Amino acid sequence: MSTRRPAITLYRNLMRESEKLPAYNFRMYAVRKIRDTFRANKAIRDFAEIDRKMEAGKQNLELIRRQVIIGHLYTADKLVIENKKTLGPLDD
Amino acid sequence: MSFTQIARNCGRLAAALGTKRMASSAVVQSQAARMMHRIAVPAVANQVSQKFALRSYSAKRTIEDIKFRVLKVVSAYDKVTADKLKVDSHFINDLGLDSLDHVEVIMAMEDEFGFEIPDSDAEKLLKPADIIQYVADKEDVYE
Repeated sequence: MSTRRPAITLYRNLMRESEKLPAYNFRMYAVRKIRDTFRANKAIRDFAEIDRKMEAGKQNLELIRRQVIIGHLYTADKLVIENKKTLGPLDD
Repeated sequence: MSFTQIARNCGRLAAALGTKRMASSAVVQSQAARMMHRIAVPAVANQVSQKFALRSYSAKRTIEDIKFRVLKVVSAYDKVTADKLKVDSHFINDLGLDSLDHVEVIMAMEDEFGFEIPDSDAEKLLKPADIIQYVADKEDVYE
């Protein structure tokens, strides 16, 4: 139970950070990947293994943070499918 | 940014503002857009939420408003079956969500109501009723 809180926090941080990715494909991939990976790994009971996965998650969080900054430096036009407000990201 | 780009952006902004008949400011619009970003919502719900976004700046909120918006956000989450959803249904036991889904529901609430919910509070909000009460406390809404 003690690893639950950090895992939830990491999940939340990853999700929040991914939403900021400006490129539609990166953003959707990141969100999907985070969801799937956390679900796939939720049954792990081995603490060493959990630590390794958490560390990998933290590194990926840093990677996404960097990628958000880079993405904002080199923005591209939005895809046609993004013009639907209902599917859009944080568009401001 | 080149002059052509600036001109084009201004044109887009004007076009975007022109299409909205409501006298909403850009702030309100971006707020509404922020709420909409998570899940596909039918166009009707769109208008409703925009109306509520406007209303929240003008009139006093009521418990009923909060309840309506909380249930709307929860039912918009794709793993929730809308007919099973009640104010008292437990997210994990009754609606079959796991703790990760719960995190996403809470994130959707943050987007809807525009304030952050710390993890320590979030893990206690296990029913729509809890969220309604929490939001009402935050917004100083009383029965």
